[in-house]
Amino acid sequence: MSDGDQTIAVVDDDPDVRKALTRLLRGDGYGVEAFDSAEAFLAQADAPPPACLILDVNLPDLDGLGLQRRLAETGRTSPIVFLTGYGDIPKSVQAIKAGATDFLTKPVKAAVLLPAVRAAIAQGAGEAQLRERAAALSEREREVLEGIAQGKLNKQVAADLGIVEQTVKFHRARIMKHFEANSAAELMLIAAKLGLGRKPLD
Amino acid sequence: MVGLAGRSGASLRLAAIAIALSLIAWPAAGADIKTVLVLYSSTRLLPAAIEADRGLRENLASSVDQPVELYAEFLDLPRFDSPDFIQTFARYLHEKYAERPPDVIVTAGSDALVLLVRNRTELFPDVPVVYIATTKALLAPIEPLPPDVIGVPVVYDSAGTVALALRWHPDANRLVVVAGGSPQDREVVDRLHGELAPFADRVQIEYFPALGMPELEKRLAALGPGDVVFATSFFMDGDGRAWIGKEAAAKIAAASPAPVYAPFNTYIGTGVVGGRMPSFAGMGKQGAELVNQLLAGATPQSLAASLPERAPTHVEVDWRQARRFGIRESDVPADAVIQFKEPTFWEEYRGVAIGGIAVMAVQAVLIGALLVERRQRQRTAAALDESERRMGMAARAAALSTWSWEPARPASGARLHPADRAEVEKATRRALESGEDVSLEYRVIRPDGEVRWLAAYGRREAAGGARLLGVSRDVTERKQAELAAEQDRAALRHMTRVSTLGQLSASIAHQLNQPLAAILSNAEAARQLLGREPLDLAELREICDDIVRSDSRAVDVIRRLTALFRRGEVPREPVDVNELLLETLELTRTELAMRHVALLTHLAPDLPRVDAERVQLQQVFLNLVMNAADAMEDTKETERELTVRSEANGGDVRISVSDTGSGISARNVESVFDPFWTTKAGGMGMGLAICRSIVQSHHGTLMAANNPDRGATFCVALPAPAP
Repeated sequence: MSDGDQTIAVVDDDPDVRKALTRLLRGDGYGVEAFDSAEAFLAQADAPPPACLILDVNLPDLDGLGLQRRLAETGRTSPIVFLTGYGDIPKSVQAIKAGATDFLTKPVKAAVLLPAVRAAIAQGAGEAQLRERAAALSEREREVLEGIAQGKLNKQVAADLGIVEQTVKFHRARIMKHFEANSAAELMLIAAKLGLGRKPLD
Repeated sequence: MVGLAGRSGASLRLAAIAIALSLIAWPAAGADIKTVLVLYSSTRLLPAAIEADRGLRENLASSVDQPVELYAEFLDLPRFDSPDFIQTFARYLHEKYAERPPDVIVTAGSDALVLLVRNRTELFPDVPVVYIATTKALLAPIEPLPPDVIGVPVVYDSAGTVALALRWHPDANRLVVVAGGSPQDREVVDRLHGELAPFADRVQIEYFPALGMPELEKRLAALGPGDVVFATSFFMDGDGRAWIGKEAAAKIAAASPAPVYAPFNTYIGTGVVGGRMPSFAGMGKQGAELVNQLLAGATPQSLAASLPERAPTHVEVDWRQARRFGIRESDVPADAVIQFKEPTFWEEYRGVAIGGIAVMAVQAVLIGALLVERRQRQRTAAALDESERRMGMAARAAALSTWSWEPARPASGARLHPADRAEVEKATRRALESGEDVSLEYRVIRPDGEVRWLAAYGRREAAGGARLLGVSRDVTERKQAELAAEQDRAALRHMTRVSTLGQLSASIAHQLNQPLAAILSNAEAARQLLGREPLDLAELREICDDIVRSDSRAVDVIRRLTALFRRGEVPREPVDVNELLLETLELTRTELAMRHVALLTHLAPDLPRVDAERVQLQQVFLNLVMNAADAMEDTKETERELTVRSEANGGDVRISVSDTGSGISARNVESVFDPFWTTKAGGMGMGLAICRSIVQSHHGTLMAANNPDRGATFCVALPAPAP
């Protein structure tokens, strides 16, 4: 059903749960690496980031949310699916805001978990693609995209960058084509996913 | 034959006397018991004799090691003084004490001393004699005394009498001294000048010596307020007429409107107020002290050197005269002898009575003794009766009933409750065997089927007895109240336990969901495997095993929780404290993790088990752990540390829970155990109070203390049964 090269990391301190999840995911065709703590996972820093990280919220010492934060800081971006033993709404909100793909409650059915994993992998892949495309933009195109992401009019962007409005329009068309965006709204979404438009340019 | 028999009888008698004499001559050497013979001049009933006897007996140094026996003989000499009687009496004493010769003889009164000294050759010639109650004047005819006859003579205390008179009449300004004109009288007056000199500052002293009685009476009649009379020796008046002191005193007292004092016991009753005179009890005491020293081995000669000059004195007063002159009873010294406080039969019918009394004396003693005995018996019976009556009243007032119990005889009436029978029988049997008191509470079933609680207290009737005596009381009401209170306490314990568990709901859900999650994922993995060819049977079997294991984990969690949620008590059992601590920490693990509390455990291996109600003990641990976590709410996340320790300490198992919170702020850390003491917004403040009551019901202690650096430690100590 899935690509056998894709590796999923499971971090859960309960050995029974770890083993059962590993078994289920392997059965679904993923490669699985299991860790009993956040620290054990961080110790594998050199390994390529997994396609998806299944993370228990309540881990001893550094907990799930702490690990998520740590990974964001170090730029190791894998999509994260959180599991929790009980529905803790404040924590789930916090996790999603920090970029988690999903937040599931144990015991979790395969019919819920596996699609969530697939979606996370897809999302991860999409984001990776976007990042690749963004890296291919020219310096001027990136500046223009940032301005658009901040919701500025072409005229304002032109004034900010010291170029004429016509040139801005030209760059914008190129950018839309580059990201295969069909509308201004779609472009705004892509910019947001790339983390642009959050701070004004100086 | 007859003559021969008579002669042999006589010789036997002689032999007996010889043996008796030899016994007298050599007092039983090494005899442990010392013997003192007291010879009283008077009859047994004379107050002076009784007083002297008391003084003697109370002061004789008799002990277990050295017992002293006191024999008393009352000679009644002033009334029976015929030479025949005295001879007979001397012989009587000789024979009576032949086998138990005295070690010391005490004579009380001069007549007895005279009798003894004059008959010394027959009566105990080698036995030392101590005389008491003998006036110096009466010693004169038998002086000089043998060196082994010692004593303190009685001397009349003129100065003491005058001092007494002046104390009782503080307004007196003149002291009139009245004495006779005989040579003895003059001698006394000459001495008086010196003796009374100290009073010259206080009063004017005037002497009325050697006057004829009519002249004396006239001058006395002229006395007025402010005068006090001191009457002394009066053998002859100035007209050459002889007087008996006592009669002269009667005349003087009758003539004088002023109070008359005299130092002679014999003057009391003539109208004289009183005076300071020899004390018979004091003389007895003094005699006893001399006897003690003689018995201890002192020689009479050595003691004679250090004897005081005169016998001790006391105040004696004629109460009728004292009242006449307005002397208050509170001014009379406690040891004073008060005479004529009420007029006696003896006084009113003296002449008639004197003959009859002499005849009846022996009978009177006998009857008296019988009366005393009867009265004592009646008193004892009355006391017993009263004691029983009081006991009955007390028992009724206290709703007590009395009982006796004999194992051999089955009890009637109410039936012992079967549930308590074994214990009651065990306790009563033990009380019968050991003689210890027994105290029990048990149920009985009344004939109408009602069950009542009784509290009984009993004791074995006598050593080796087969019967228990005791009291019992119906305590059903108290017992019901106790049971109700215990039910309330149990309900409160349950409520706080459930409320603590409520705080742990997230943690509990986590604990349950873990195994459930494992089961679900395993089952679904198995379903995936079932859809593949070929079937991986080994893997499927392993999955089934894992499911079973996870399932029992879930069941365990639920079983433990059910126990904690269950209402009602379970019996005590030996509990592994470490296991219970780990179980408790497992229950709180998620909660602690969520609160970022680091958990450190130091559990001593091989702890003895403690007898405990598992759930209650776990409630204590839970409460302490949760309190510790609550206490660290304001502590920096990285510094929140909870340490749980267990160790064996003497006969105890100790469990301590420490935190790194703000510590106990109360001035008295003990107050955290008070009900309703809380620092939490939603707290009832019952947790620690209940914890302590639980620990105490397990005969343990729960203490709190602030740590030296930061935070607090709660320590539970539970007694471990000896292995």
